[in-house]
Amino acid sequence: MQWTPYGPKAVLIRFGVDGDAIATSARARAIAAASKNDAPRAVAELTIAFDQVLVEFRNAEAFADAVPEILDWLGTLDPVPEDQATRHEIPVAYDGEDLEEVAERHGLSVGDVIARHAAASYEVAMLGFSPGFPYLNGLDQSLWTPRRAVPRAVIRAGAIAIGGSHAGIYSVASPGGWNVIGHTTVRIFDPARRNPDGDEAGMFLLRTGDRVRFVPLS
Amino acid sequence: MDCLRIVSPGLGASVQDPGRVGWKRLGVPPGGSMDSHASGWANRLVGNPEDAPLLELLLQGVEFEVLAPCRIAVTGADAGAEIPCWYSRDFAAGQRLRFPKNRAGLWTYVAVAGGFVADRLLGSASVYPRGGIGRTLAAGDVLACGAMADRIPQTAGAWAWWAERRNYLNPPLIRLWPGPQWEAFDERERQAFFQAEWEVSSRSDRVGYRLEGARLNPPEGAMISEPVLVGSIQVPPNGQPIVTMRDGPTVGGYPKVALVDEDSLPWLVQCRPGGRFQFVLVGDGDAAKVGIG
Repeated sequence: MQWTPYGPKAVLIRFGVDGDAIATSARARAIAAASKNDAPRAVAELTIAFDQVLVEFRNAEAFADAVPEILDWLGTLDPVPEDQATRHEIPVAYDGEDLEEVAERHGLSVGDVIARHAAASYEVAMLGFSPGFPYLNGLDQSLWTPRRAVPRAVIRAGAIAIGGSHAGIYSVASPGGWNVIGHTTVRIFDPARRNPDGDEAGMFLLRTGDRVRFVPLS
Repeated sequence: MDCLRIVSPGLGASVQDPGRVGWKRLGVPPGGSMDSHASGWANRLVGNPEDAPLLELLLQGVEFEVLAPCRIAVTGADAGAEIPCWYSRDFAAGQRLRFPKNRAGLWTYVAVAGGFVADRLLGSASVYPRGGIGRTLAAGDVLACGAMADRIPQTAGAWAWWAERRNYLNPPLIRLWPGPQWEAFDERERQAFFQAEWEVSSRSDRVGYRLEGARLNPPEGAMISEPVLVGSIQVPPNGQPIVTMRDGPTVGGYPKVALVDEDSLPWLVQCRPGGRFQFVLVGDGDAAKVGIG
């Protein structure tokens, strides 16, 4: 695995398998599933995005020893194949303020946009932008739409949106430039929600590598 | 024990601590005090542990009413309060504490002996309103503090050693590490970056600081988003660098020319729009110091 230092106490490691999206996803799921407690002690923080993971160490002194240790550790993680990924169905009211514009742009009917968006099976390629916000791979190429030139000041939580080649779900009310085509009442991020054992990780619905489908509400 | 009432939140006041660790993988930025040097001293001056929740004030305009006898420390940006910056002092019920006029820096820290009582989410009391975690303070809010630590000396107050007090109007060279895309930037761009005098744009906040001073040509071609560290200097297509700050996104798609050293970041965050500063690469800066000495 290739790695690049990122300041005195972090490294960016490329775990992706070139030209093999399925193998890359399986590795991403494995790293996402490995809890913080399983990582070497020197590790303070792991952040995954697409085919890379950022590893932050607790201090700079740990750096020299920790890099080989973390590379070894990543090598021991068994890839998690797609059929073991957690699956989610998100009900959607296709009532977004940009739905008609997206349809016009691509020469499609509104019905076509909905059908194509809901037909795809998506994968959480990365969480970021705001807590629990998923960047979803798998968007039908005929729906790829550049971000809006002027971002909206407020997009509400639960907005179903398209940004470039990605689909996404706004996790909190925030400014944003993605094209909003619908809304869901499912809370992608809920600060009041806990796992049954009380773990705060229950606030977050999705994990890197999870599979998502959108189900139109009639 | 209720100790402070917010009469006016001024230009912005929020509860902060050192921030949260371990949640970036789910998209939650670290948050925490912008100036860790000043916030650390505020807690130290009232005998608190360094992770005790305290208040971070932006620029000026905040006014508090003291509700019960307590010891308060003020550090960071000087906003003309009743007690000088980098000091702690005892207050009586009914007294006011005002921050009417900013003189230097951007962020002021107010700690109370015993620490402010605050909800902790994901391991931290830092509020992060953009991410749906807590809210900033509003007029009428009442803050409680914990019991005073026994080890507070029975003196009228304390002050920070001179060498630890900072004149934010005169920042030192800001030290940088090469960023992940450092090599991808043209040599001339890197030189321009270190030769330029920079200032912070007024379009800056806890998410990111925009820098003005030179236009940098980022490397050709789009890149795939990757994880981002606080202090990263990203160069978007318009060539105006943005420094990712503590509430900034955990991932980003712009090339990162450099990373601000964590000891320099507290200086950079206190630079007001209009104030000038320069960057130096970590190795180069050390060499230069030896040369001058």
